[in-house]
Amino acid sequence: MKLIRLALRNLLRQKRRSILLGSAIAFGILFITLINGFTGSFIENVGENFSNLMAGHIFIDGVEKSSSGKDLYLIDDDSRIMDAIEKSGIEYNFLTKRSEIRGTLLFEGNGINQSIVGADWEKESYFKERIILKEGTFENLSDPHGIIVSSKIAERLNVQLGDHVIVKMQTYTGQQTAGDFTIAAISIDTGLFGSISCYANILYVNELLNIGPDKYLTLGIYLNNLIDTDPVTAKLLPELEKRINLFSRETTDDGNPFMAILEQQEEEEWDGVKYRLTTINDLLSEVEEIVRILNIAGLIIMLVLFAIIMVGITNTFRMVMFERIQEIGTMRAVGMHRSEVRALFLFEAFLLAIGGIISGYILSGITMFIISRVYWGVDTPLFMLLKNGYMTFRLAPLQIILNFVIVTILTLLAAFRPADKAAKLEPALALSTEK
Amino acid sequence: MAIVSLKEVKKTYPLGKTEVHAVKGVSFEIARGDFISIAGPSGSGKSTILNMIGCIDVPTAGTVELNGQITSGLTDREITELRHKFVGFIFQSFNLIPVLNVYENIEFPLLLGRNTPDQKQRKEWTEYLIEEVGLTDWAKHRPNELSGGQRQRVAIARSLATKPELVLADEPTANLDSETSEAIIGLMKKINIEMNTTFIFSTHDPTIVELAEHIIKLKDGLIASEYRRDK
Repeated sequence: MKLIRLALRNLLRQKRRSILLGSAIAFGILFITLINGFTGSFIENVGENFSNLMAGHIFIDGVEKSSSGKDLYLIDDDSRIMDAIEKSGIEYNFLTKRSEIRGTLLFEGNGINQSIVGADWEKESYFKERIILKEGTFENLSDPHGIIVSSKIAERLNVQLGDHVIVKMQTYTGQQTAGDFTIAAISIDTGLFGSISCYANILYVNELLNIGPDKYLTLGIYLNNLIDTDPVTAKLLPELEKRINLFSRETTDDGNPFMAILEQQEEEEWDGVKYRLTTINDLLSEVEEIVRILNIAGLIIMLVLFAIIMVGITNTFRMVMFERIQEIGTMRAVGMHRSEVRALFLFEAFLLAIGGIISGYILSGITMFIISRVYWGVDTPLFMLLKNGYMTFRLAPLQIILNFVIVTILTLLAAFRPADKAAKLEPALALSTEK
Repeated sequence: MAIVSLKEVKKTYPLGKTEVHAVKGVSFEIARGDFISIAGPSGSGKSTILNMIGCIDVPTAGTVELNGQITSGLTDREITELRHKFVGFIFQSFNLIPVLNVYENIEFPLLLGRNTPDQKQRKEWTEYLIEEVGLTDWAKHRPNELSGGQRQRVAIARSLATKPELVLADEPTANLDSETSEAIIGLMKKINIEMNTTFIFSTHDPTIVELAEHIIKLKDGLIASEYRRDK
């Protein structure tokens, strides 16, 4: 206790120097905390944004082989799937049924390859909350041929509200056909994913695909929380396997289940419809890899940064040792052991680290608060990383503790050599040294 | 039995490629309760002898015995413990710890080592020492708020904190005016009588030398003369 008190007073003796060293540590902590906080929310935000765009966390679709060997995607009868969902007892927010056209939108000589998603606007009212309209209203979709396009697409086609656009496409079975849509609304562009931002009525999309009004291509299960995806999938899978012919999600190593399904789809032959169950996490595994790389890069940068800070701490403590050399001699003369001298210097380093780290975390909290209040918009390339246009941060307590421990150890290591040298000073030599 | 005994003690320091013979073979004994002055001009070996008696330096040859124990051959831990229990130090430049106040400076040696007294005992003894050196009103002041004489009084009180049998004072009055110097030596003498603590102080000031009862005069690392005066 006496040493801690003395160490604290020694630190306060040279306030400016202690503040500078503490600030260096705080800056390092700020840097790594911002990276950790950003990557912590990165995967969650990307996952949620993906879920919104793709209308679900778990997706089921059916694949049938045509006579020409082409894969045809359709859920013809979903009664067994619905039964499996019910029997599995999983909790979800809502279900989405989607059909999709891949074709070319044409207007006055301009053409653009585009995917048009067909949704039931009456049942999927939540979706209206997630699409921000720049022009027009959702009421315009009461027109069965109404379509919502993103501002970027509208710009490229040079269309305005009420314009009629033609779509050149293939039906479900691959026959060439065409349809016409009326621009019902123009949505704010969602950056990278603007290309999948055309939405129309599912009934008209089904008509163009030449499938029945009750059929669709993909069933989406929208869960309450992204983190429920894996446990819910594990619960649902056995019930589905009892009722429908399902591609296996098993992988030999830690591979992606979606890739395993695609391989089976390519290699296997089957009769009738075989179903695929994919999840948002299958898509996010690549994002997780990015997050892992970002975290490793952050850690390396932190270590390099702290290597520089450590040099500063070592030099400062060497200087401190020289400044206090007579004091060290006096303390040794009055009965202080070498270990206590070493401990005194290390306590100073420890308190410096604690002060720097706590300041760094406070600074990080303030910085994150300020950044998270800035509205970045939804028409930014960063869209997928944001939550409703705001940058968010999430820090795992373990990460905070780990950084705390790493920085404390590094600071103690930096101070150890000067502390050890001070401890090994001969009292007579220390007392007779002229500063 | 003598509290301090030096037998043919020599001390040589390396200085570049040459050697400095600071002490060239000194023998003497100091009795318990002595109030002794080691006098001599600068470079005569006063401080070196005090350092060797105080176990903060080791002789190149010869033996130093403290209370019958030969100090050479002890480990650093043993020597530190011996210093802590047996010897108190007073320095020319006071050597107080600047971040501690008067009370804390005096209490400091009591907090070191394994068997520290409890807080109540520490407080009573520290307050007694503060009163003894006449600094009761200055207990909460830091060294930079004190005069030279007051600082040396704190150093005297600190040297007595662990109730040592021997106090070594290396030129305790060198940085003080003559009046304060006499007062400091007077205080040391008072404690010497009251507590039967042995005091060895080095000085080159003839007026201060004469205040001691046992005087050893050094010249060029050797004893030039040694005599006692009646108490």
